[in-house]
Amino acid sequence: MFDLRLIRAEVLKLRRRRGMLSIVAGLTLGVVALAFGVTAIQHAGNPGRYGPAGGAANFRDALDVVMLLTIVAGAIVGSTAGAQDLESGVFRDLAATGRSRVALFGARVTGAWAVVLPVAALTAAAMAGASVGLAESLPAPSAAAVLAGTAGLLATAALSSAVAVGLSALIGSRGPVIAIVLAFNLAIAQILVGISFLGDLRQAIPTVALARIAHANADVHTTLGVALAVVGAWVAAAFAAGAWRTKTREI
Amino acid sequence: MTSPASDRRSDLAIHTTDLGKRFGERTALAGIDLEVPRGTAFGFLGANGAGKTTLIRLLLGLAEPTSGRMQILGHDLPGDRAAALARVGAIIEEPRFHPHLSGRENLKIHCAARDRAAHGRIDAAIARVGLSARADDRVKGYSLGMRQRLGVARCLLTDPELLILDEPLNGLDPAGILEFRGLIRALVDEGRTVLLSSHLLDEVEKTCDVAAIVDNGRVVAQGSIHELVRGGPRAIDIRCTHPVEAVQLLAAVPGVTRTTDHEGGLRVTLSPEAPVDREIVTALLRRLLDHGVAVERVAPVSASLEERFLTMTTRLEDRS
Repeated sequence: MFDLRLIRAEVLKLRRRRGMLSIVAGLTLGVVALAFGVTAIQHAGNPGRYGPAGGAANFRDALDVVMLLTIVAGAIVGSTAGAQDLESGVFRDLAATGRSRVALFGARVTGAWAVVLPVAALTAAAMAGASVGLAESLPAPSAAAVLAGTAGLLATAALSSAVAVGLSALIGSRGPVIAIVLAFNLAIAQILVGISFLGDLRQAIPTVALARIAHANADVHTTLGVALAVVGAWVAAAFAAGAWRTKTREI
Repeated sequence: MTSPASDRRSDLAIHTTDLGKRFGERTALAGIDLEVPRGTAFGFLGANGAGKTTLIRLLLGLAEPTSGRMQILGHDLPGDRAAALARVGAIIEEPRFHPHLSGRENLKIHCAARDRAAHGRIDAAIARVGLSARADDRVKGYSLGMRQRLGVARCLLTDPELLILDEPLNGLDPAGILEFRGLIRALVDEGRTVLLSSHLLDEVEKTCDVAAIVDNGRVVAQGSIHELVRGGPRAIDIRCTHPVEAVQLLAAVPGVTRTTDHEGGLRVTLSPEAPVDREIVTALLRRLLDHGVAVERVAPVSASLEERFLTMTTRLEDRS
């Protein structure tokens, strides 16, 4: 189902979209560089008023912001991977080769991951490096916190892009998919988290699970096992829905 | 030991039996029986909405039939689809590509869905369609004609036994059409089969050996181009003195359905049951000469594929 040649082809299609890659890099690595860079300059200019740019607290604050932006980055890459064959009309020619459509869909998911996960890993590394290197008198983030933050970022990128690929297979174009992913994660999920009578059902909200994995600030208590299972279930559901639609679509 | 029926099937690149497709209440294909012999250029003709592209989509597994059976290169569809389509190249309507990639990169993408040997055919395919100089340019800068050529190159990646080309001449200039015709003939000479769906009847007549005419989701005629044309309306042009009297005289000749003015002379239309040309020409001349009408010129008119097509099919607007 996961064919390396198809995945490489998918990565080639994404790699050649320089504008998209620039936006994704700007949203992740760029924001980290900007946030830590500006704070570091402010601190150097007026150490009495501005504290060091690094440290555990700044790492946690940056992680909250970067996780949100990674959702956006994942949605952009995922929706592009999921919809570009359909939007360009190439999917018809690929399907006419007799190749399994599920394999074609699987390559989109893994191709999106092959692009977005390295960016998320680099972002996590840059955050950790800046938080430790610029900590000065502040306590640096612990290895466990860095590990959890990195895992959280990777899970966020993987989940967001997989859901976007699946939705793109259902909808067939990029724009609405990005809008849906953002609206759900940035607005609807926050509203659902605030509805207390939903109780433990709120553990199924993706942002709750991702926050638990990253050890970020969370409003709903959940265990790491449940959080990992929730992320896995959302990825599986997105994959199943997208694969089904790809298989049954008449072109 | 193989039966004569199975021998015949193995000679067919495409074989459909009672193939049907419905979209809700609308019947797109109503029992298509099609036999495409191997090693031929096969024209597939039909008016807009007749069902040509629907049939091609079914053959390529892009849509599911609602009834009937189909085989490609001896493989049953949809059960044996991967094997059936492994050596089939296709252009469906306008060929589509990723515009942000080069022509060569688009072919690489397609190769990933084909067998491993396909990658080694990229350069040869590009050269064959005359795109070597532009292969590394982005497709967004290609003309429609260049995209058609790239579409053909994509078909060649699989060393196809069968090429299914849906309106491949769209966007080609006259020189491109001539070149394309030569390419199709060359592919057939190599032993490949080409199914050419086109509304350009003249091109099909010049390019193909065999053709089927589809109308209202049914195949209404199928055979060699020669056979199809022979079944068409027959007429004889006559230039003579006293044309007004000649019209009355000719009406009495058995086999003549009507006589009309045509480009300064007369066109005598014959019924399908009329005797063969030599006999009827003799009868017409004798009738005129016996009554003192001098004949200056006699010329049998052979029907073109276009005329044959028009007598067999209904136009989309007529149906509505």
